[in-house]
Amino acid sequence: MPTMTLTQTLVMGLIQIVAVLILIFVMVPLLTFAERKVIGYVQVRLGATRTAGGHRGLTGALNRGMWAMGKVPVLSIVRGLPVFIADILKLILKEDIIPEKADRAVFTLAPIISVMAAFGVFSAIAFYPGVLFTFPKAFPIVGGLPFMGFISDVNVSLLYIIGLASVGVYGIVLGAWASNSKYPLLGGLRSAAQIVSYEVPLTLSLLVPVVLSGSLNFREMSLRLATGEGMSGLAVFPLAVGFLIYTTCGFAETNRSPFDLPEAENELVAGFHTEYSGMKFGFFYLAEYTNMIVVSTFASGFFLGGYHLLPFGLQRFIPATVPFIGQPSILFFFGKVFFILFVYLWVRATLPRYRYDQLMDVGWKYLIPLTLVNLFVAAMIRYAF
Amino acid sequence: MFKNEEMEINLGPQHPSTHGVLRVKLRLDGETVVKCTPIIGYLHRGVEKICENKTYFQGQVWTDRMDYVAAISNNLGWAEGVEKLFGIEVPRRAKYIRTMLTEMNRIASHLLWLATHALDIGAMTVFLYTFREREYLLDLFEAFCGARLTTTAFRIGGLREDLPPGFIKQAQAFQDMFLPCIDEYETLLTENRIWKKRTVGVARLSAEDCIALGVTGPVLRAAGVPYDIRKAFPSAAYAEMDFVIPTRPEADTYARYLVRLEEMRQSHRIIQQCIDGLPEGPVMAKIPKILKSEVNEVYHAIEAPKGELGYYFVGEKGGTMPYRMHVRAPSFVNLQALPKMVEGRLLADVIAAIGTLDVVLGEIDR
Repeated sequence: MPTMTLTQTLVMGLIQIVAVLILIFVMVPLLTFAERKVIGYVQVRLGATRTAGGHRGLTGALNRGMWAMGKVPVLSIVRGLPVFIADILKLILKEDIIPEKADRAVFTLAPIISVMAAFGVFSAIAFYPGVLFTFPKAFPIVGGLPFMGFISDVNVSLLYIIGLASVGVYGIVLGAWASNSKYPLLGGLRSAAQIVSYEVPLTLSLLVPVVLSGSLNFREMSLRLATGEGMSGLAVFPLAVGFLIYTTCGFAETNRSPFDLPEAENELVAGFHTEYSGMKFGFFYLAEYTNMIVVSTFASGFFLGGYHLLPFGLQRFIPATVPFIGQPSILFFFGKVFFILFVYLWVRATLPRYRYDQLMDVGWKYLIPLTLVNLFVAAMIRYAF
Repeated sequence: MFKNEEMEINLGPQHPSTHGVLRVKLRLDGETVVKCTPIIGYLHRGVEKICENKTYFQGQVWTDRMDYVAAISNNLGWAEGVEKLFGIEVPRRAKYIRTMLTEMNRIASHLLWLATHALDIGAMTVFLYTFREREYLLDLFEAFCGARLTTTAFRIGGLREDLPPGFIKQAQAFQDMFLPCIDEYETLLTENRIWKKRTVGVARLSAEDCIALGVTGPVLRAAGVPYDIRKAFPSAAYAEMDFVIPTRPEADTYARYLVRLEEMRQSHRIIQQCIDGLPEGPVMAKIPKILKSEVNEVYHAIEAPKGELGYYFVGEKGGTMPYRMHVRAPSFVNLQALPKMVEGRLLADVIAAIGTLDVVLGEIDR
């Protein structure tokens, strides 16, 4: 890596941050669109099929023709895509109501905390372990500098990420309390209890990759876990169990079905964000979906082999000389992220919701002992081989 | 600084899972329900009083608007109640068609119950699956009487029209399709661990309590009491039908789920028997243009999807309208059981209990 001046470092950092922000702001709306579509297809319907124009224009004529023939228009698959623009516009343009008896300052602060915590995590996530491309010499300031697959290469990134991610719950709890309303209060209480409980098995299950790889750096952990460098072949078992536990806890951490109690719409109307509207609600919404992406990148990076094709240290069976599948690729990373995100939606369409006390039971009585045993097994494997 | 306080919250009347405008006042200790008070009356239209100012022919229209998801059952109760009051004998073919449509309506009503109940517990896909099949049934109702929900399907003395051409074929197509659909719902729910956790042992109501509170229908049968008016006091063509009354001993939400699923299968059987054994003949009895009653009173009950639906008529001498009309609405009586089911349990169980009682507010408030 060439040495950089201070200006170059700052500008490069800014470029990388903006690139990741763009990535988030593209992925979140696409995720909401995917949610409509995936759940739609699970439920034998089409999901969003028409916005912006509908039956008018050339494409509209094609749509009309195919409907008339009793067929689902080909364009209907992408036609619903502008829905996400409509979504965002709606959120921005809507009146931003702050209830009279709410604590204005905290009420405003809460969504910001949520969103900041969710976004901040991305600064330590490595989407690709090395240089993605190099800026041509012709560019001012950044010419000849590499564009890395990560914002910063922190050597304790896991600690940073877990620490920051757990700040997100403050947004929910503060928002709920500041609303000064009963349903948000219940939702906030549930949420606090849930996230605090599930933080324990979540973090413990992440210790398994830490123990096995001997690193806390996202990029190194991911590479070592995939290639099985310095790991026994037996490591596949604690990693596989850890993956299942992690995904389960991840669902709970992000308040998604079947653990979506804080916002169980059939019990608590809308849970902690009942009193929120406009872009303040939008921030909570954004934070939830960003957190889903965060959880998926973790699962992809630590458990599913990250940039390599095969998970759990199985990549060692493919020699690095094999083109494409032997090499790390950003495609594999995102492929796995999308798969986990798909599982999120799939589960949401299929499973009912746990009850509050049962959720606590699952967390404390099953997941925590299981993670402890799993961690012990991982440590034994690390120690013995 | 620290104090324990019970919190009072209103579930409804505008709440996503109170099935209409039910308002439940809850006193909560944390998430545990200390006291539960259902408050009703938001949909009151005074149907009983209105019917006292309508002739016996006109009143039936109002019965559609009570249990609007099972309008045909309500129509059947009204028509048969009035026929009992005047001693009118309905032709056999009309009885068969009435039975068939009422059973179809029972399936439609149970499908709607399953959809909303599952949605309340968080399983959203079942909702779409059941509505797909319910659509077939509503199309059949539309073919028969032109309306999908507010059917006013029957007339005093029989039916206004015979079945439209092609109806039997369409009904048979539904019959052939429907049984695998029930299995499909079952694959999503019956052995689902979360579904079982949310329903087994939840909102228990013993047979004694059911009888003491006057609870009827699937809730009573899930408590192990094989009381079904179709068998106990058969009307329409039920006496000629071969079906069993499903019961379960557990008396919880899961048992009621299984009972209702089995009831759908039994209704399917009854419809098949009606299609196969449909007799020829007229569908309308000879009745006078104007019905004038003697001083007389009649109580006629039928098995509606929700339980015992009773119509009580008092006729006055020479009157063309009932002197007094009262409806024993199953949802209204069943709702009394809600506090008994949920007090001392968690908030989420209230939602499951409202779902399992299968209340329709149009019928409760009348």
